[in-house]
Amino acid sequence: MSLAWISKLTLAVGLVALPATGWAQAVNISYLTHWSPETVALLEAAAKDFSKQNPDVAITVRAVPFGDLLTTLRSQSGSSDGPTIGGIYDLWLPELARDKLVAPAPDAVAGEVKSAWPAGVVSAASVGGTLYGIPNEIDVYALNYNKELFKEAGIAAPPKTWAEFKDAAAKLTDKAKGQQGFGMINSWAAGVVHPFASLLVSNGGNLVKDGKPALGSRQAGETFALYEDLIKSGASNPAMATADANTTGPFLDNFVSGKTGMIIMANWWESALKTGMADKFANVATAPIPVGPSGDKPHSISYSWMTVVNAKAGEAEQNAAWEFLAWLNSPKSGKNGASAMSDILMSMGILPSRNSDIEAHKDKLGSEFLSGYVSVLADARPFPVVLGGQEFSESLQQTLEALQYGQVSAKDAQANAQTDATSILERAAK
Amino acid sequence: MAKAFRASAGIMLAPAVTLIGVFVLLPMLLTVWLSLQDWSTQTPFSGASFVGLGNFREIFGPTSVGRDFKTALLNTAIYTALSVALILPLSVVFGLLVHQREVAGGTLLRTVLFSTYMVPMIAVALVWSKLYSPSEGPLNQLLGLAGIGPQPWLSSPRSALISIVLLNVWQQVGYFTVLAIAGLTQIPGSLYEAATLDGANGREQFRFITLPLLRRTLLFSAVIAIINAVQVFEPVALITQGGPVGSTNVLTYHIRRVGIERAQGGLGSAMAVMLMLSLIVCVSALFAFVNRKDGE
Repeated sequence: MSLAWISKLTLAVGLVALPATGWAQAVNISYLTHWSPETVALLEAAAKDFSKQNPDVAITVRAVPFGDLLTTLRSQSGSSDGPTIGGIYDLWLPELARDKLVAPAPDAVAGEVKSAWPAGVVSAASVGGTLYGIPNEIDVYALNYNKELFKEAGIAAPPKTWAEFKDAAAKLTDKAKGQQGFGMINSWAAGVVHPFASLLVSNGGNLVKDGKPALGSRQAGETFALYEDLIKSGASNPAMATADANTTGPFLDNFVSGKTGMIIMANWWESALKTGMADKFANVATAPIPVGPSGDKPHSISYSWMTVVNAKAGEAEQNAAWEFLAWLNSPKSGKNGASAMSDILMSMGILPSRNSDIEAHKDKLGSEFLSGYVSVLADARPFPVVLGGQEFSESLQQTLEALQYGQVSAKDAQANAQTDATSILERAAK
Repeated sequence: MAKAFRASAGIMLAPAVTLIGVFVLLPMLLTVWLSLQDWSTQTPFSGASFVGLGNFREIFGPTSVGRDFKTALLNTAIYTALSVALILPLSVVFGLLVHQREVAGGTLLRTVLFSTYMVPMIAVALVWSKLYSPSEGPLNQLLGLAGIGPQPWLSSPRSALISIVLLNVWQQVGYFTVLAIAGLTQIPGSLYEAATLDGANGREQFRFITLPLLRRTLLFSAVIAIINAVQVFEPVALITQGGPVGSTNVLTYHIRRVGIERAQGGLGSAMAVMLMLSLIVCVSALFAFVNRKDGE
């Protein structure tokens, strides 16, 4: 065979092999989140670090507003071209797992998660004992109050009981200044339901008990009545409570501009407060949820987020996704023994959930704002993760908003909430 | 000969009919079929199980599913009625203003009016959500200058839907004004000259010449305005998320929540069928009304 023929043959083999080699090496995975552009930039930087060590894996990050996250996951995760990784709220997991949209974690990942995360958090990322996601953040609710407004109203300390809470709300209310004592939220399901649920558990009640709605209880009745009292007395103004698709809007504007004295909110909104208040952020303090007449001590609601992998993605993409997530959440990827994920979360004021991350961020978690949240974590009750949970939340949101706007009495709101929840959870369980 | 003509007509029509059949009729029939099934949007069609009219009973029933659907249907009806009732008269008024030759800056006014229609809804939603801001919104500041207290706009269930209607009217009126102008140019000027010679004043000319001869244009405008209004989605998704208290929860947004977010494909399809039937009834009633007027 002549040299020319050998060259031609080599070139032909090379051309044929080239795309196959390329496909074998390059794995493209995508990560869907609801984070802000600043946080997405941090995630992209972490992804770049991973790709440096794993040049065969390319990661793209895509963000949608929180209000569109579940819809995007549901509409796109049914195909291999959908997002490979998604950040999800634990309430959505049972239905996503039932519909086989999310893949079970490989044994190695599951073993690592079970040994490195608290059992409660692992349980929220599992369905029927199978782990589906790597937990990252944990959020808990507490009372946020404006120290300056408290001082002006002559209130020395944050309220510890509902009686003190109602008294403080009344003292903080000044209609002439457009100022309300306690800020409720509307037009956002979790924003409406979680503060109510925090007051309910601090009054010894539950949203769901043994898989069944428990809104017909005396404790729940007292919580509905508390809302009614706050609205009727004018200490809470629903017109100042609206949220938009990005979970900001007038309710946030009113708190950051000093027109709301108290609000029950989760730790993650630290970054929103800092952005909105600048130097005045120092006026914000955190306290446990006031205890109701039927409660024993402060409790609040907690929930977690996790990253899951698209079950319809190709095998190579799934493997690369789990490898990336395991690295992102490991002490190897961040600074000073923290994971890169926890560094990203802490930039937003969000509590990480991995044991080693909590240790690594001990100093920052001790800040005046976050320490209030860390202190209530031990007595927090996880928001019930059940089939139909999202619909249950949205239904309770409608009832609470109707109560906020005086369309129903506390008694009717309680009856409606229990009836609706029973029907929703029964249908979902079928 | 007639046979050959029919065959060639069939061949000519086949591509269009096939496309309409595949992309319009088939999805409509599929939606009707799904409305009679218990089906999750995350499972194949083979996973659907027949439930007869069960989904329709549920969406009109007393549970939260029924209550939310009926509220969304009512909100859509109110939104549509208010939008059409405001857009059509305004489009005629603006059309008459712009159509008058003696009005200076008519072309500029026409351009300005139509430009709102070209602005993407995301930009409109962002701007209007700030305009409506209860504390810092320019609308409340303007009202304050006139001695009127701040209005809750999007923050109250009583005014939120109307606020969304105003946003829609602002965006769409320019398009319908252009349609009205097109209708006005079709009316022969000689009719107005004859009416002037007979002593008719401007109001009489409008009532007995302009309005009757604009009827077909207004019918077309009304049908398009109804269809546009029934399909409202973006401002609700971008600004209010259906709240507060479901006061802006319109059917398209609700169907998306039920059918996609909750994956309840059967229920969502039943709601879509009801939306389609409502639209057919409304548009048919409008045509019947105008045809009766024509007959008179």
